[in-house]
Amino acid sequence: MPSWLDPGSWLGGPAAGRLDARDDTEVRRFLGLLAPRDPAGLERMAQSALSLTRRHFGRTISLYAPLYLSNYCPGGCAYCGFASDRPQQRMKLDGAALQKEMDALKALGIEDVLLLTGERTEEVGFEYLLECVGRAARRFHRVSVEAFAMDTDEYRRLGDAGCTGITLYQETYDPELYEELHRWGPKKDYTCRLDAPARALEAGLRAVGIGVLLGLGDPTFDAVCLFRHILYLRRRFWQAGILVSFPRVCSQEGGYRPAHEMSDNSLAQMIFAFRMCLPDVPLVLSTRERPALRDGLAGLGISRMSVASRTTVGGYGDSPASEKGQFDVNDGRDVATFCDALRGKKLEPVFKNWDAVLSLP
Amino acid sequence: MADCFRLGDKEFESRLILGTGKFSDVKTMVAAINASGAELVTVALRRFNRERESDDLYGPLAALEKVTLMPNTSGARNADEAVRAALLGRELSGSPFVKVEIHPNPHHLMPDPLETFEAARRLVKEGFSVMPYVSADPVLAKRLEEVGCASVMPLGSAIGSGHGLQTMEMLDLIIRDSNVPVIVDAGLRSPSEAAAAMEAGCAAVLVNSAIAAAGDPAAMAAAFARAVAAGYSGRIAGLIDRSAFASATSPLTSFLSEDDA
Repeated sequence: MPSWLDPGSWLGGPAAGRLDARDDTEVRRFLGLLAPRDPAGLERMAQSALSLTRRHFGRTISLYAPLYLSNYCPGGCAYCGFASDRPQQRMKLDGAALQKEMDALKALGIEDVLLLTGERTEEVGFEYLLECVGRAARRFHRVSVEAFAMDTDEYRRLGDAGCTGITLYQETYDPELYEELHRWGPKKDYTCRLDAPARALEAGLRAVGIGVLLGLGDPTFDAVCLFRHILYLRRRFWQAGILVSFPRVCSQEGGYRPAHEMSDNSLAQMIFAFRMCLPDVPLVLSTRERPALRDGLAGLGISRMSVASRTTVGGYGDSPASEKGQFDVNDGRDVATFCDALRGKKLEPVFKNWDAVLSLP
Repeated sequence: MADCFRLGDKEFESRLILGTGKFSDVKTMVAAINASGAELVTVALRRFNRERESDDLYGPLAALEKVTLMPNTSGARNADEAVRAALLGRELSGSPFVKVEIHPNPHHLMPDPLETFEAARRLVKEGFSVMPYVSADPVLAKRLEEVGCASVMPLGSAIGSGHGLQTMEMLDLIIRDSNVPVIVDAGLRSPSEAAAAMEAGCAAVLVNSAIAAAGDPAAMAAAFARAVAAGYSGRIAGLIDRSAFASATSPLTSFLSEDDA
């Protein structure tokens, strides 16, 4: 574990190399905010999170939708519905099917899409993804990618095709647990994945979304590593856009059960802590969470949300979709219902918060 | 009218300019603009949505009769992107104004002086009335005036921060030497700060977060309008010298002989 990431000295372990005094102050404040609170303490954090979110993002929530291109995957991630040992039909969108998915998303008003695949395979490799990015960039104002770790040149080519950024979670920063959960496949390489956001920024992409799968590892350890990862990227790439997501992992049919299941309270507190320490960083919440929790956290730290998500391949159009999604969607509300809920909270749902003219190659 | 100020080819009576990005809905935004009496509002090109009316900020703003639109290039991280955004903004809105906003860091949103200067230079040549959002840098302000900007828009403090006029010392220098209107843009929290900026000699102020995120945006917009008018009137009426109360009542230099004087 590189010294810029290792949280050891803050968590009672040995210091990894020389401490950066700036990190020390920030990390200690962050850790303090993760310590257990009584309800009144949590309420105070919520008040701060609300005020900071409103100050930096106004009374708005940026919306996006995931678009699954494929569920082929050679990976053996124990917690993932697409792992190669899960018995399910594998498919990828061909040109016509992609068109239908994009038409369906456009009809919903979506202008910000996240294209997803599994790990690299023969069927779904870089060139296929690049082609899809190019096509999506001609339909939507903002296109980002959540796929496999790539090299710098590949990221540069994605950017040239109109991709504005990537999402890539380390899942857990604990190297041993990482090794154990990623049973086989290219994702087994911890360092290659850890350095991928830096490669993407080096290649000129505007933004990287990072996060951990909450529930896999010790939440405090992972949160501090994630926080340090952000500090590191921010210092190394002064123009970097950084987004943080808070996906909670669910039990899987393959028998996986999260070892550190996270309560709603702990999730909320972690979001508040990130907001208080990173007031101007977009914080993202997906439809993994149920409606009441999503509505509650909208604007309360969270500034960006997915809407009407399908996590199956071909889930939006009228073509046959894959049977099972990557994860279960717990907020199945359609666009209109979700937007009404936001408006009920005096929050404006924003579909187009970018313009393609800004990211033309 | 004597009290108008000129930007490019247009005269404005209201010295309060509004941002539009952070409102909870279009209705609230329009109510705030109406309450503010603003005649110039800025809107980000990235919030133009011609395919979905309910998500579009441009349409409702264009429908306001007394309001001139000033598209801004928010999101651009360099001069090339800003110029592209400006050209498209003019194409869609027909407005000669552009607010050049170039913030390469999408988090703190501080304006890039080098890229802003370059974009301003090119956009003036394209015939725009260029309104550059800049840090409160007196040298950069003069450079922008020299290349033909219609105004300079230095920040009072970090965008959205509500920290008020942290840059007052630099603003004083910018105002003292400027031949174009100086408009404080960003950081204001309260009407009194807007009044202070006007008293210091700003031609106008631009406010977004302080109104959009206020408890009652329309009421806050009206309060800002009154404060801006009061600050401006105060300035015109002739503020007494800051040191007036500290001056001695009898002359201190009467011992000096007239011959030496």
